[in-house]
Amino acid sequence: MTGNFICAIRGPVMLILLGILMAIDQMGSYSFGRTWPALLIVFGIFKLAERSGRPAA
Amino acid sequence: MRRSSIVAPLILIAIGALFLARNLYPELPVLDYIARYWPFVLIAWGALRLGEIVFWAASERPMPRFGVSPGEWVLVIFLCIFGSSLHAVRGFSSWWPRSRVMIGGLDMFGENYEFPLSGEKASGSAPRVVIENFRGNARISAGDANEVKVTGHRTIRSLDQSAADNANAQAPLELTGDANEIHIRNNQDRVSNGRVRLTADMEITVPKGASIEAHGIYGDFDINGVNGSVDIISDNAGVRLQDIGGDTRIDLRRSDVVRASNVKGPFELKGRGGDVDLQDMQGPVTINGAYSGVLEFRNLAKPLHFQGENTTLGVERLPGDVRMALGDMTGSNLVGPITLSTRSRDVQLSDFTNSVDINVDRGDITLRPGVLPLARIEAQTRSGNIDLALPPNAKFDLSATTSHGEVNNDFGAPLRNEEQGRGAALRGSNGGPTVTLHSDHGDVTVRKATAEEKPAKEDTKSLKKIEQ
Repeated sequence: MTGNFICAIRGPVMLILLGILMAIDQMGSYSFGRTWPALLIVFGIFKLAERSGRPAA
Repeated sequence: MRRSSIVAPLILIAIGALFLARNLYPELPVLDYIARYWPFVLIAWGALRLGEIVFWAASERPMPRFGVSPGEWVLVIFLCIFGSSLHAVRGFSSWWPRSRVMIGGLDMFGENYEFPLSGEKASGSAPRVVIENFRGNARISAGDANEVKVTGHRTIRSLDQSAADNANAQAPLELTGDANEIHIRNNQDRVSNGRVRLTADMEITVPKGASIEAHGIYGDFDINGVNGSVDIISDNAGVRLQDIGGDTRIDLRRSDVVRASNVKGPFELKGRGGDVDLQDMQGPVTINGAYSGVLEFRNLAKPLHFQGENTTLGVERLPGDVRMALGDMTGSNLVGPITLSTRSRDVQLSDFTNSVDINVDRGDITLRPGVLPLARIEAQTRSGNIDLALPPNAKFDLSATTSHGEVNNDFGAPLRNEEQGRGAALRGSNGGPTVTLHSDHGDVTVRKATAEEKPAKEDTKSLKKIEQ
């Protein structure tokens, strides 16, 4: 159940993050060219959470 | 079975609302809004989705396999590409066009270092002053001496003092040229590499007869009392001009405000921007571009030609004023021939002379000629009401028709109503110029002007109009 839940919220959270990075890019402070690795990091965290979530479920 | 999300219908509703807004108010800069705020659509989309899934989890319903389906990701990518290219095209990123990638750290961690700026050069009495590739604000005024003098300061944003000192030394202020042509150069390009950003605030004093030519990237121009011509080309600038003796040409990719008063020569404005405010112009005024703010014209001695995205206006002379804002236009004390065609505005004109030609796609037309004798009037709207208030002793050959609506005759003889199909007509003549009014969908009213609408009180009237 937990793994399933994490899997389900992964998409929306990534989407929100993408939106925030794009907004920051447009405000001119950090360009998306510099901040995109944050997406990888968050994706990785989700993958980790899935692995640790699955045995418990 | 996969539960369907509420996001898709919401997006449909939003797109519908956007197109509706654009149709109702063609002047509304919808594309600009999208270019500016599209990332928040992604955030809202994700947040809605997240809320939904948390709610499903809390109520122990089965989880969907994907929070955001592959199809939706494709849509998101399209939105990103569309949004960021729109953002670039609309010129919002023109602040630092060449160094956008690196500029981030500078804004977060950099500091401002200020350096004084000064330079002067002797010139003739009427030199051409060229400001090259300039980023910052310039205030130019005329002085009595035959010299070009620059004072002010430059701000260098950088990560440390030594980099700022270095940049300041590498990019000195230069005044070059001879007595007839002087170039003012800040050499900002030399140091704009992402680690430093140099902007300058210059107070420039020039001889009275000088002509100004300015090429700006970002920043405002304030020009005062110059007798020669003024040429401004900028990616993003606010422009304020006062007491200019010669021709004025302004070409802006973007601007928040263009304000000019007392310009003697022809005035030409091109590009995109917000507000435009012109008064006491002695030369012809030509405006060509997209302006989303409030446009005001007062006391123009020569013809005005305005060509906007959806509006074209021509006036022979404007002793009074014209004001255009989103969805409406008011004018009083105009000298024709007047031609106006617009997509979606309520038009109100009072105290005009000579012929009038108005063509409105959607909007009401209110006309109060005020001054006798009447001239030819032709007013058409596809959807909207027409209201014409004539002086009681006016002479005219009037024909007012509507295809779907009513005609109201509050003027009395010699006008007579004629029913025809779903529409109606009002015709009558007492031997004056032709007055043609036509509405496709809407009512047409012809009435007698009341005492308070007499032109004698035009000042209080125009004030009232501005308050509206």
